[in-house]
Amino acid sequence: MPRTRLPLAALSLASVSALFLAGCSQSTNASKDTGDTAASASAATGTKPAPFDKGTVKVALVRQSGAGDYFEQWGNGAKAQAKALGIDLTVYDAQADNAKQATDLSSAINSGAQAIIVDHGFPSTIQPEIDKAVKKGVKVVVYDVETATKGVVSTKQDDASMAQAVLDVMATELGKNAKVGYVNVAGYAALDKRDSVWKSTVDANGWKQAFKVGKVTDSTATDNVPLVSAALTQHSDVTGIFAPYDELAKGTVLAVQNKKLQDKVKVFGADVSNADIQNMTASGSPWVATAGTDPSAVGAAVVRTAALELAGRLNKTSVEFPAVAITQAFLKSKNIQNMDQLRTALPALNLSQVSTADWIANVAH
Amino acid sequence: MTTSQSAAPAKTATPSTPVAAAGPRVQNAVIKYGFIFVTVTLFTYFALSEPSFRDSATLLDTLRYVSVAAILGLGVTLTMAVGGMDMSVGAVAGLGVTVAAKTMVTYNQVGVVAIIAVIVAGALAGLLNALLIVVLKIPDMLATLGTMFVIQGTKLILVDGQSITPGMTQSDGTTAPGRFTDGFLRIDRGSILGIPISVVIFGALTVVAWIFLARTRWGRVLYAIGANPEASRLAGIRVGAYRALAYVLSGVLASTGGLILAARIGQGDVSAGTSQLLEAVAVALVGTSVLGRGRPNVWGSALGAVLIGIITTGLTIKGLPYYTQDVVEGAVLILALVFSFTLSKRRTA
Repeated sequence: MPRTRLPLAALSLASVSALFLAGCSQSTNASKDTGDTAASASAATGTKPAPFDKGTVKVALVRQSGAGDYFEQWGNGAKAQAKALGIDLTVYDAQADNAKQATDLSSAINSGAQAIIVDHGFPSTIQPEIDKAVKKGVKVVVYDVETATKGVVSTKQDDASMAQAVLDVMATELGKNAKVGYVNVAGYAALDKRDSVWKSTVDANGWKQAFKVGKVTDSTATDNVPLVSAALTQHSDVTGIFAPYDELAKGTVLAVQNKKLQDKVKVFGADVSNADIQNMTASGSPWVATAGTDPSAVGAAVVRTAALELAGRLNKTSVEFPAVAITQAFLKSKNIQNMDQLRTALPALNLSQVSTADWIANVAH
Repeated sequence: MTTSQSAAPAKTATPSTPVAAAGPRVQNAVIKYGFIFVTVTLFTYFALSEPSFRDSATLLDTLRYVSVAAILGLGVTLTMAVGGMDMSVGAVAGLGVTVAAKTMVTYNQVGVVAIIAVIVAGALAGLLNALLIVVLKIPDMLATLGTMFVIQGTKLILVDGQSITPGMTQSDGTTAPGRFTDGFLRIDRGSILGIPISVVIFGALTVVAWIFLARTRWGRVLYAIGANPEASRLAGIRVGAYRALAYVLSGVLASTGGLILAARIGQGDVSAGTSQLLEAVAVALVGTSVLGRGRPNVWGSALGAVLIGIITTGLTIKGLPYYTQDVVEGAVLILALVFSFTLSKRRTA
């Protein structure tokens, strides 16, 4: 009998090596992921400053989560811009696991990256690591993170303006003293800011908030459907729901449709993506308004900001990306189906004037 | 770390069966050292190809990253030793994060009180599991799956579904008075002689669990129950009490993992811990294959955790996106199980 076992033993060891080789060959492809090919680059004309004049520059992107349309497009924009700049971009994705983001950031610091971009994260979780990075001389650019560390460049979409833009539409649609629902989660800087605009709008219009539900998970849209459905079972008389994050809005839309309330309840979301546009323009969609930045343009602008900072040419510590209100009526009247068409119809979304220079090949349209 | 941890179990290895022919010897070597070979090979490969991987800071980070899954895996290992399984470890760790945040941020207590509260919560969760499994005779997998949901729900109710952050506005309109104390945060953010405290805890608990399981009468009794509960009962062992002990210890270990998570995150986080369950179970399962024992063992679990850390860190440095990493992790797990089950079974056949 013993002899017959040898082949299997050998097979096992062989499969280790195979696994390995698979690892090698994949890594070369994946690390050079080009991202959004839809973005067309405008050529750089100026002379590249250091450190971009000598080959590739190592930059790490540490993300709280890369899942969901918005974050995927954001990542694609960042990758495309990094490629256009000759940046070797390593992406760490914590998949909404905050503990992992802390150790990811720590690994990024040790990886020898010249700059680190931190995309979202709990301030209490990542603050000590950001301090460590700055102390080590690594340039840090944060996106949508509250940080008090000196020397960190803070970038964000202007969340207050975003919430305000949608809530202005909501106030016009619902009028005073309406009964409203709210789907949001505390603890995320962007959502907290939209929350404070929400609270003041509720007060200003004399709205009655019938319920507040919501959670953020690795599949936020699906996981919020039961929560909102349950809330709607009890409060089917609300006339509008504010869900200030597109994954929350998607879950809310599904819940409203499940409850067959789409003719009575209007959903007001935030953020915009291809899927969001499809969702808003679908027949019978209760999602009547959103406000957003183009995630792909924002991801690219953040990488450009990091590049300027690395070259020592940014000369400011805060960059904000303004949001634009987008209504279902506008999308339908212009027959807009996707982000490309929306970018053409709303040039303000492109951010092509933000954080740019003649030596940067700009992937924004 | 890898070498020291793989060297240690060699001392505890059961005497190998006498072998005459070269075939079985190679066979035995593959079964016994195959898994360690995979770990060392992967480690060497990453270390040679990526300079930043062999940096000591990166290696310590890797251990820090796996420390939570590893400690939870120790608990799973204990319950596997008695022939059971604990699916609630991730939820209990998450409960620990919430209890820590609630104690310090909402009730403004010091770190020590938070630590005690978290450990007590973990022990209670373990007792609940023990009650369902030992007294109410519900199959272990189903019982702990049930408590997993109950605990996740409980932790959401505790905080009204919100993540507790210092300075937050609470449901009664007041501002949360406390914050995570610096001493508490040191559990993950501090270090002793350059080694992160969470890694020290992981190492210490591994040694303690190993002594308990492999070097004490209690440990041998746990294994005996796992191998044959009926025979153990006839031998006069109080099977129920020992099984209950395993689940309570698992709950306490899981909440210790929760302490590290809480210190790492630094605020309440309602979703914390959920991702830890699968890694903890994977760690314990992978552990069964180390040194070809085909049974849950502490050093195996610790080494399994280190391997998962090496894979995750190595592939990330190589630039592989996380979704491809899951496939590689799964493939390694399956490979380890081939060593553990397929090859070992053939040897005894």
